[in-house]
Amino acid sequence: MLMISPRMASGMQEKLYNPSLLSFFVYNPSFGPREGEEEKKILFYHPSDVEKNEKIRNVGLCEAIVQFTRTFCPTKPAKSLHTQKNRQFFFEAEDSFWIVMVVRNPWVEKTNKDGKPPTIEYQEEEILDTVYGAVLRQCYSMYKLFNGTFVRAMETGGVELLMQKLEKFFYRYLQTLHLQSCDLLDVFGGIAFFPLDKMTYLKIQSFVNRVEESLSLIKYTTFLYNDQLIWSGLEQDDMRILYKYLTTSLFPRHSEPELAGRDSPLRPEVAGNLLHYGRFLTGPANIKDPEAKFRFPRIFVNTKDSYEELHLIVYKAMSAAVCFMISASMELTREFCEQLDSLVGPQLTLLASDICEQYNVNRRISGPEKEPQFKFIYFNHMNLAEKSTIHMRKTASVSLTSVHPDLMKILGDINCDFARVDEDEEIIVKAMTDYWVVGKKSDQRELYVILNQKNANLIEVNEEVKRLCATQFNNIFFLD
Amino acid sequence: MAGDVHNKGVSWEVQQNGTLAPVDRLRNDRSESPTPGLVEGTEPGAGQESAMFVHAQSFEDLTADNEVPTETEPKGDSVLGESVEEEALCLAAEEKIQEDLHRSKEEDVCTEAWRSHRKHVFVLSEAGKPIYTRYGTEEALSSTMGVMMALVSVVEADKNIIRSIHADGYKVVFLRKTPLVLVGVSRTCQSDLELTRELQYIYYQIVSLLTLTQLNHIFQHKQNYDLRRLLAGSEHLTDNLLQMLDRDPGLLLSAVTCLPLASSTRDLVSSSLQAAKAKNLVFSILLAGDRLVTLVRKKDQYLHHMDLHLLFNLVGSSSSFREGEGWTPICLPKFNTAGFFHAHISYLEPASDLCLILVSTDREDFFNLSECKHRFLERLSRRSAYQALKEALKCPSYSVTQVGIPELRHFLYKSKSSGLYTSPELSLPYQSEEEQERLMGLYQYLHSRLHHPKRPLRSVYRCGETENLMAWVTSGFELYLCFSPLGTKALAVAAVNKLLRWIRKEEDRLFILSPLTY
Repeated sequence: MLMISPRMASGMQEKLYNPSLLSFFVYNPSFGPREGEEEKKILFYHPSDVEKNEKIRNVGLCEAIVQFTRTFCPTKPAKSLHTQKNRQFFFEAEDSFWIVMVVRNPWVEKTNKDGKPPTIEYQEEEILDTVYGAVLRQCYSMYKLFNGTFVRAMETGGVELLMQKLEKFFYRYLQTLHLQSCDLLDVFGGIAFFPLDKMTYLKIQSFVNRVEESLSLIKYTTFLYNDQLIWSGLEQDDMRILYKYLTTSLFPRHSEPELAGRDSPLRPEVAGNLLHYGRFLTGPANIKDPEAKFRFPRIFVNTKDSYEELHLIVYKAMSAAVCFMISASMELTREFCEQLDSLVGPQLTLLASDICEQYNVNRRISGPEKEPQFKFIYFNHMNLAEKSTIHMRKTASVSLTSVHPDLMKILGDINCDFARVDEDEEIIVKAMTDYWVVGKKSDQRELYVILNQKNANLIEVNEEVKRLCATQFNNIFFLD
Repeated sequence: MAGDVHNKGVSWEVQQNGTLAPVDRLRNDRSESPTPGLVEGTEPGAGQESAMFVHAQSFEDLTADNEVPTETEPKGDSVLGESVEEEALCLAAEEKIQEDLHRSKEEDVCTEAWRSHRKHVFVLSEAGKPIYTRYGTEEALSSTMGVMMALVSVVEADKNIIRSIHADGYKVVFLRKTPLVLVGVSRTCQSDLELTRELQYIYYQIVSLLTLTQLNHIFQHKQNYDLRRLLAGSEHLTDNLLQMLDRDPGLLLSAVTCLPLASSTRDLVSSSLQAAKAKNLVFSILLAGDRLVTLVRKKDQYLHHMDLHLLFNLVGSSSSFREGEGWTPICLPKFNTAGFFHAHISYLEPASDLCLILVSTDREDFFNLSECKHRFLERLSRRSAYQALKEALKCPSYSVTQVGIPELRHFLYKSKSSGLYTSPELSLPYQSEEEQERLMGLYQYLHSRLHHPKRPLRSVYRCGETENLMAWVTSGFELYLCFSPLGTKALAVAAVNKLLRWIRKEEDRLFILSPLTY
């Protein structure tokens, strides 16, 4: 069942190329309004080695497309351009600041026998606008999380500072975009919540309260277990992008040392502290190290109103991770970090093993896991809760799905249908491969189910989905 | 508006001797152009004399009557002669521009009302010159169309092809069909592919008036030629076609629907039509409004459904055929983009919906075809089929209640092998134009999902607040059902079987089961 974007299609002489990032740029049309000054509009351009005139031409096309569509709707200009070879996505991130992402369509190269150059066929119907539009918006959100808004940068250090920040951030970030494995989950940008009984949930809450009380510098706290969220003091939109950063970038980077054996050189120095398993994922690797620097990443939240700049401390013990956020105006010292470590370390270790135990008890009750006849994705727009049994694990590099990519795209198609009308709907389709796909939308919730019952009819499929809703969503609805 | 200018023009050698000397081939191609003058002029009403006149009112004669536009310098070598000839042709058409006046297009293109039309369609030349707009005037939109062409060119400069632009709530679709560029701006839920297909219809509509050969020729010789001169007066054909695309499921399904008729009667009509043949006759088509009664064709010659829809559109757009026998050249682009057929179009009776189209390859065939029609009518009345046919006209459709499926509001059923479809009349709540187009929009949505170019589906079931829909495609048929929101899935599953049985029972009446050839 495992399908990781097959590179070789059937037949020896066909080679399939995945969608890839062609270019990515940020511009502001008001920066170079006069002819001959067009280059000033461009604040960032990837790949940077593109010739100047070509950059100007590509930016000019985007401007023209956006302007042209204003003829038909002055308030809602173009969001994407489809061409034979690629798709371009336009996003006005801030007033007059546009971000454009150009994605090359997947293509098939067919070698010709008689020495002719290979023929190239572009697959123009493979890329879903909703998915890549969301990826583009996510790029900006991630930039903003670590750099604040474009306008703030302009106010602080003018266009030079903004260009520096863009260059520094996107140079690395764009390399981590894995466009071939983007799917419906990127559209949702949801958060997986850890299902939990009330008692354990209260224990966690009281832990958070105790820590915030003892260390009054702490402004916000979030608590995760197994890469799933349990508690967050941040606003939803800030949490959503922080969650994305933690689960696709920070945690995967630190999971390898943990998995390594006790004597492996990868394993960080436990520093003679055997009382607990707590350690900092951001900041100093070892606080006992006399050379340690107490610098933490800065993040920006509530950029629409209070515009707060915060230190981000991520602290982890076993599978439990906690983020403590402290105003950037405070200086974080060795003393503070030691205090935090000695307070949080033992408690969090205890809590983590509690949760683990509870989790295993629940798993035993629900019986041994057998391969179910269905896989599903659930998303709730109200609390951003997301659950997928299609995705096996998410890492920084790829998200592995257990279904054929075409089925994933059918889910995306149904999601587009839902987005068109603001009413409750249900769509059931049967694919050519005889898989059934069910999409349900009701009251801000969306559920997508893939059923592998090829001989079932519509009525049986409906029954199956009803059963699924009854059994699977008790926990999730509990968290609403 | 243009008329005055031309009356003051200087006269011009070529026309003084009454002939257009150079480029004979070109002249022949164009002489058959059914510019509105020809179509309208065919206005029958007047028996054979006037038909002759219409035929005479072809290109050569028109140029002889008119004077030359001042902007041309005709005195010159033979190379110029060609362009002169074009101008002359336009000029003929230009008089007809006045007909534009009764198109209610004088709409301000800067208003919200203009912007919020459900579907705009623009046609322009590769030089960016406006040829057609569905709403507003071409003049007011010339800069917009210039931008459209610029966008097309800029993308092409990168060895790429522009397809579409997407925004919240609408999309812009481009279709490049040298020497034309077609652009659609739609607020409907149709897929890019469906919209492109509609633009293709519009393209073929234009080709059907001129032939592709002529169209290419014009632009090869004068890149910034204003094609409106040649198409003036034919805008209503495009307008009407666009309306058909919005409302007629046949164009969506690539199929035609038939007048329900007892098979014995239909067979009599068909055989009467078959008997009324002529040497150059290729297709004989009898229509009842927008429904097919029968079609008889020359052996081995097939009429593409798109060509048939263009014929439907031609007949449906002009009232002039009601007044007598019409004779018009028409290119059937799916058959052959290079040449004209000649269609004899007439209603069996002035007030009747029955319209006979006889398509011949010979431009001099008017009298022969007129004779065919008489033979057909005679035979038809003799065999009392005419009365039965006229009876059937009284109920050209059927109610969905006849099928006897609760909560079923409407359906479309297409038989793939015959290319025919059947569907009941629109009942409440789909009787207003707005609701009719909304229902069509739902069918278009289902169709685009079933026929997705990369991810086709076997079936779609969709429950919404206003209706429940089901679509199913097999190797033999396509079926689209619309239920009230009270319909359940169990009901839908049962309905499919019941409906298929009902159609089987009624197929004699609803379809043409035994098509004939000459």
